[in-house]
Amino acid sequence: MLKKASFLIIFAAIWLTSCTKDPINDLTDLDSQVFITNHDKSIDFKQFKTFSIADSVIVVQDERSGTALTDLDKQMLSSIISKMQSQGYTYVAASSKPDVDLTVARITNTYLNVTSTPYSSYYGGYYGGYGYGYPSYYSYYETSESYWSVSMLDLKNANATTKTLNVVWNAQIRGSGLANTDYFSQMMDSIFGQSTYLKIN
Amino acid sequence: MKKLVIAAFLLAGFVPALAQEQAPKLYTLASPYERYTTYLVTARLTSAIPIGSFKNDYIDKTSFENYSISLEWVLQNSFSVGGEIGYSYFKQRLPRALYMSGDQTISAVQTRTVSQYPIQAFVNYHLLPKNSSIQPYVQLSAGGSILDYTVYYGSLADQKQKIRPTYGVGVGSKFLFKKDGSFGADVRVKYAATSFKYDYLTTGISSLNTSIGLFYRWW
Repeated sequence: MLKKASFLIIFAAIWLTSCTKDPINDLTDLDSQVFITNHDKSIDFKQFKTFSIADSVIVVQDERSGTALTDLDKQMLSSIISKMQSQGYTYVAASSKPDVDLTVARITNTYLNVTSTPYSSYYGGYYGGYGYGYPSYYSYYETSESYWSVSMLDLKNANATTKTLNVVWNAQIRGSGLANTDYFSQMMDSIFGQSTYLKIN
Repeated sequence: MKKLVIAAFLLAGFVPALAQEQAPKLYTLASPYERYTTYLVTARLTSAIPIGSFKNDYIDKTSFENYSISLEWVLQNSFSVGGEIGYSYFKQRLPRALYMSGDQTISAVQTRTVSQYPIQAFVNYHLLPKNSSIQPYVQLSAGGSILDYTVYYGSLADQKQKIRPTYGVGVGSKFLFKKDGSFGADVRVKYAATSFKYDYLTTGISSLNTSIGLFYRWW
């Protein structure tokens, strides 16, 4: 009798631990999006008046990078231009010495993960008789993350001696639906909206 | 009419005799549940109301996703001892808001979760005999909880997994469906706490759990 009860407990334990949850599978694309911004607190953005923007998007994929200008990229660049203009900045060509320059990057990183599942032989509720002889079991899974990264470079206060440009503002857009151009204006509203210091008008 | 009277007289003599036969025997054997240490298994469904700092700082939404199963040895005195394993899950979604993390500003829809697999040993003290149809008890329990704390910022997760001590104090009652029977219902109200400090949680996870269950006992 006692044996029967112990089996019941073990079975229940397996049943309970085999439940897995995905608490965010009900998130909409828009709700899944995360906007992360950071800025140089020593900078007063009111000193900037004009901006330029790189004429293509940097594409970073794992270790490789290059530039691209797909329709998607054009849309992204034009959304940024119009948002910058609404913040009070004047869009000028890169040749006419803008105060700040904006660069946009599309970043995709892929990771190979390894996980050890020592109790895998219990899957399926199998017990009694013979089990599987694996000491432990490794499985591999791949995850990839994609995000947009927008950076603002300070051209006005460029360090001439060290030849460096400071990034004074950076925004990352992560989540689902990042290639959906319908969301671009909302993305701009979010990253500029939470960076109130950028507004100069 | 005469026949009826005779019949009535006969019955008058017979019925008390019959009643006498059903009167207490010279000795009656007590129920096995009173004579032996018996086993009892209970499955419970629980609603958990967050309390304390767990409620104030992290999740204030009541959870109905809590289950447990326990096995106990009902001793010949008023005590029973046993073990209980369970599953508990809290989840709360917050509308989009701004969060500061170091110098970063993060705008996200937050999904806060805590899941636990508490494994506990417990002692019950029963206030009434084992075979009464209502058996109130008080309970003390302690053990470990395999817990997973995950806060999602949109689709990004901040996760912490730990095994932490957990304990509980409860009052409850068993209700036998049938006198001397094997099956019954169990109702329990329990304060449960797990100590855990991370991120939003400053002291731990505490909740008031009300459960209804079914039990089966045997010997």
